[in-house]
Amino acid sequence: MENRLARMRSLVSVVDDDESVRESLPDLLREFGFAVRAFASAAEFLASDCVGDTRCLILDIAMPGMTGPALQRELSRRQRAIPIVFITAHRDESIRPRLLEAGAVDCLFKPFSETALLEALNVALPANGATDRIDDRGAP
Amino acid sequence: MTTTEGVTLTGGWIGLQGFNGDDLAANSATTDLISILESVDTPIVVVRRDSTIACFNKAAANLLGLSPSDIGRAPHDIPVIAGLPRMEERCAEVIATGLDARVDFREADRWFVVRISPYARGDRVIGTVLTFTNVTAFRASIDQAIYERECTKAIINTVADPLVVLSGDQRIQSGNRAFHAMFGVSRDETQGMPFYELANGAFELAPLRTHLTELLAGAQAFQPVEVDHVVTGKGQRTLLLDARPLSFPGHSERRVLLTFQDITARKEAEAAKDLRSKEELRRSEAFLAEGQRLSLTGSFSWRVATDEITWSEQLYRIYELEVGVPVTLDLIRTRVHPEDVTLLEKMVDQARDGSNDFEWQYRLMMPDHSIKYLHAVAHATRDRDGQPEYIAAVQDVTARRLSDEALAKARSELAHVSRITSLGAMTASIAHEVNQPLSGIMTNANTCLRMLGSEPPNVEGARETARRTIRDANRASEVITRLRALFTKKESTIEPLDLNEATREVIALSSNDLQRGRVILRQELDDDLPFVDGDRVQLQQVILNLLLNGSDAMNDIDDRPRQLVVTTARDGEDRVRVAVRDVGVGFDPRSVDTLFDAFYTTKSGGMGIGLSVSRSIVENHHGRLRAELNDGPGATFSFSLPCLQRTNTKV
Repeated sequence: MENRLARMRSLVSVVDDDESVRESLPDLLREFGFAVRAFASAAEFLASDCVGDTRCLILDIAMPGMTGPALQRELSRRQRAIPIVFITAHRDESIRPRLLEAGAVDCLFKPFSETALLEALNVALPANGATDRIDDRGAP
Repeated sequence: MTTTEGVTLTGGWIGLQGFNGDDLAANSATTDLISILESVDTPIVVVRRDSTIACFNKAAANLLGLSPSDIGRAPHDIPVIAGLPRMEERCAEVIATGLDARVDFREADRWFVVRISPYARGDRVIGTVLTFTNVTAFRASIDQAIYERECTKAIINTVADPLVVLSGDQRIQSGNRAFHAMFGVSRDETQGMPFYELANGAFELAPLRTHLTELLAGAQAFQPVEVDHVVTGKGQRTLLLDARPLSFPGHSERRVLLTFQDITARKEAEAAKDLRSKEELRRSEAFLAEGQRLSLTGSFSWRVATDEITWSEQLYRIYELEVGVPVTLDLIRTRVHPEDVTLLEKMVDQARDGSNDFEWQYRLMMPDHSIKYLHAVAHATRDRDGQPEYIAAVQDVTARRLSDEALAKARSELAHVSRITSLGAMTASIAHEVNQPLSGIMTNANTCLRMLGSEPPNVEGARETARRTIRDANRASEVITRLRALFTKKESTIEPLDLNEATREVIALSSNDLQRGRVILRQELDDDLPFVDGDRVQLQQVILNLLLNGSDAMNDIDDRPRQLVVTTARDGEDRVRVAVRDVGVGFDPRSVDTLFDAFYTTKSGGMGIGLSVSRSIVENHHGRLRAELNDGPGATFSFSLPCLQRTNTKV
């Protein structure tokens, strides 16, 4: 319960132009115990007051306007070291190493499993011990 | 009879005025003589010493108009005889000398020669006998001869070329004016002069002397001799001396007519022309050789009957043979690609049989095993002897062929790449479109499970996420539907279309492929074809597909021309039809129903997509695609479409 409470303080921001992702993913993340904000574009995220509070960014790669990697570079320029988990519907294995090299935590290909998402979040938001790990008790 | 003299001369002859009939009885010999004289048609008049007419015969009476009463009259009293000049004087001379005299006498248009002979009795000349010989005809022929001679002389003198007649001993007999003018001599100077002394011996030439001597000895032909001679006032001239024999029946001496023709101008013109034509020939030969070299085109002529083959230099270079070596079919065979030797022999046989122009492509294999592609076009003609001869141009199309092949390869690689690329892009876009809703479905399902599994279960939240799951599944389904629509119903542009024009464009685009397949394409397009409503690009794909299918069906046909016939025509009242007829392998009639199915193919390299797609396109145009086996070899694929009303057909 401690962890959950602690997590309630951790804000995860989701940036994706796809509406179904913006609707479904925040609910799941809240189930995990995070505070969640969803944005339809990179610009919308940058213009919000969440940039400083966000502990983890779940970021779509291909978006109209500023793309995911472009936002990554922008944050790096602003020296905002937010852990980033990229998500994409475009399965291109070659893109993954480049993103990781640029500092991303992980890159998940849609549709991704709950387990994969949890693993990425655990890397992005290391808790204080093994017991603090979010479990997948909700999964079948 | 005592006065024999008087009686005889005064009495006249029987039937002849002045004859004494008594004497007739006395002397029958006289009678006979008189009779003879009477019958002679030469007028005879006897004149006494005292210049009186003693007697005359009938012919004389007729000629001179004498009557019996004229006996005893003086001749100058007779009007006609009075015309004889110095008649009495001459008679006196004849009596005095005893010698004949002759006088020309003209009576009206007749000419006579009058001979006056002494009339002697014993030693005594007692009178003269005048006989009149009619020389009118003779006189006329002499006049004519004189006239002709004058005419001839005039002609000869008018001739610009010098002419001279040489006697049998080659002396100058006579010359025309031009002759005298050219050599600056007069007639008198040259008459009888040995010909070779003329012009300081300029004509003392052995061949001329030989030929003239032969001609005079009886030869009929003379070999003209050219002599360079300086003519006063004209400078160096070239004279052509020609001669012909002159001989007349009854004249034993043979003479020659020698002509001097000034051929200087002609020689100069000929020389100039010769030079010019040589120069032109040289130039045109140089042009031709250069043209052949630049265009890599050689030429040859082939006399079929004798197998006499002549090559241009460039053709030797193409065949890489030494220029000038005799060309034979065997030699050619050594260079022709082994796979094309049969083709060569077939062409040779066909050429021997017929006399048609022909065209063929073949390959050479050089000793280093490199390949050359040649394109030959032969034109049938006749040589000087009327025998069949082919004149042909042979072009080395290797470079073009190789670049064509490289281009085709690049094209096909490009097509392949673009197909792969577009397939990859298409797959990626399908995946992206489907993955989005799938992602939502999976996330929602996870959320749903978590909500249901929490204590207490969040049923309302779970219901909401389940609803969103259904919505995302619907979205995924919609994506699939949209994709299907995108790929099965391509945007098409329907417009009035001239199928002839569309067909011609396709033929133009595919002619390279067809030529490479050695396909002979014949177009039989109906000029009066109504328009159809259709998508130009799609229908052209169908036509192209039919052409390439036909061409492919003939790939292994070598025993007959690979002929492809494209026909457009009306099909009944309200349809038009495009047909492509090949002479290829045809198809199994049992498979006719499956022919147009996707993935059905008779070709090892094909996917069978073509006919299937073609059928969909044609059916989308409310048309029908048909396949039929020909009566002869091969098959005909055709489609027919409804046509537009006539009024819309002309743009």
